Amino acid sequence: MDSQWPTADSRPVSRLGASTVELDDNVAVYDDVGQLLILLNSSAASVWALCDGSTTAQAIVEALAAAHPDHADVIGEDVRQTLRKLAELGLVSDMTGTDGAAAPGVAGS
Amino acid sequence: MLRDRAWAHCTPNLRALSYRFAVCCDDGALGRHIEALLYAMCDSGDEEIAASDALHRYTLISVASGTLDLARDGELVRAGLTCADAIGWLVWDVNRAAAETSGQHLLFHAGGLEAAGRGVLVPGPSGSGKSTLTAGLARAGFAYLSDELVAFELATSRLLSYPKPITLKAGSFAALPELEPLADDDFGSRNPAAREWQVPVGASTALALGTPCEAAFIIVPRYDPGGTTSLSTLTETEAFFTLALNAVNLISHQTAGTEALGQLAARCECLRLCFSDLEEACRLVVDLVGVPAAQTC
Repeated sequence: MDSQWPTADSRPVSRLGASTVELDDNVAVYDDVGQLLILLNSSAASVWALCDGSTTAQAIVEALAAAHPDHADVIGEDVRQTLRKLAELGLVSDMTGTDGAAAPGVAGS
Repeated sequence: MLRDRAWAHCTPNLRALSYRFAVCCDDGALGRHIEALLYAMCDSGDEEIAASDALHRYTLISVASGTLDLARDGELVRAGLTCADAIGWLVWDVNRAAAETSGQHLLFHAGGLEAAGRGVLVPGPSGSGKSTLTAGLARAGFAYLSDELVAFELATSRLLSYPKPITLKAGSFAALPELEPLADDDFGSRNPAAREWQVPVGASTALALGTPCEAAFIIVPRYDPGGTTSLSTLTETEAFFTLALNAVNLISHQTAGTEALGQLAARCECLRLCFSDLEEACRLVVDLVGVPAAQTC
């Protein structure tokens, strides 16, 4: 994985076919490709929900900072770490510079 | 081979979820004992039989050493068994095969009971007290679905019945003395050194059978010798992951299975039951579910 990823312009997208179940304030994500069942806490779930392939990483930070102004100073780093972790797990990839297909070799590698 | 041999006793066709089988013995008394033990699994023939539901045959053959060889479809499962061990291995193999052949359902390593049309799922690993609690609740008047493997039918969201004999390990004997095999059972279960009891269920026993039903309660047991007996609420998240950990074939069902777990966790009342005293544990569950106990638990 690119050590600089995600950049402000990155457009993370959740893995097609990953199914989610809302539980309390958390979200369970089942990835049938990697056969992973992962619990996202409410913060990670908020990031996950915005990984739609069109919203940039910067826009995700701004959206969450607006929703949680008291934590705006740390949200940028939290979002970046969450996206990197999701990418490591193969649950998100990057749509930047593509026309629908995830960019190869960027995330989930 | 089966046709050539004169069997002293063969059971009727039996069904363990999707697994259809029969058992033939060259010892008539043992064959009748096994039939009585498995009778709750008699195949009613109500369900359509798919081509894949071939009938499997177990055989129990006495050998010169005075022991028994257990085979399935002519292939040896175990040799040199005592009667009690042969029955234990038979029940174990049926359970294994039921899990293997019933993959169209989401399967849980769990006990299951029914109370007035509402299902109680008791998921847990070996040693959690699952079978003991299931037996205690069945004794208390709950209708029995299974003590080991519960099938959740995805199309209907129902828990299905798999009325295998309840298998109790030696650690549970003292808490459930009424379930000790009958005095006329001379096949080893009453041996003080017996490692487990196979307890028959259904007609002619005190343990009633349940029918397919929607799950309403998830009770996660944890046997804690010397600890306090108590019920505590599980969050949806805790219930979901407990179900996932005890799902036998979640991988096979992927999205549908995950969604089913979520629905169960959301829809059911989910609790953890820590117990050291079975009687008290059953009383807590009876009070929770609101079903009058048929007997003292």
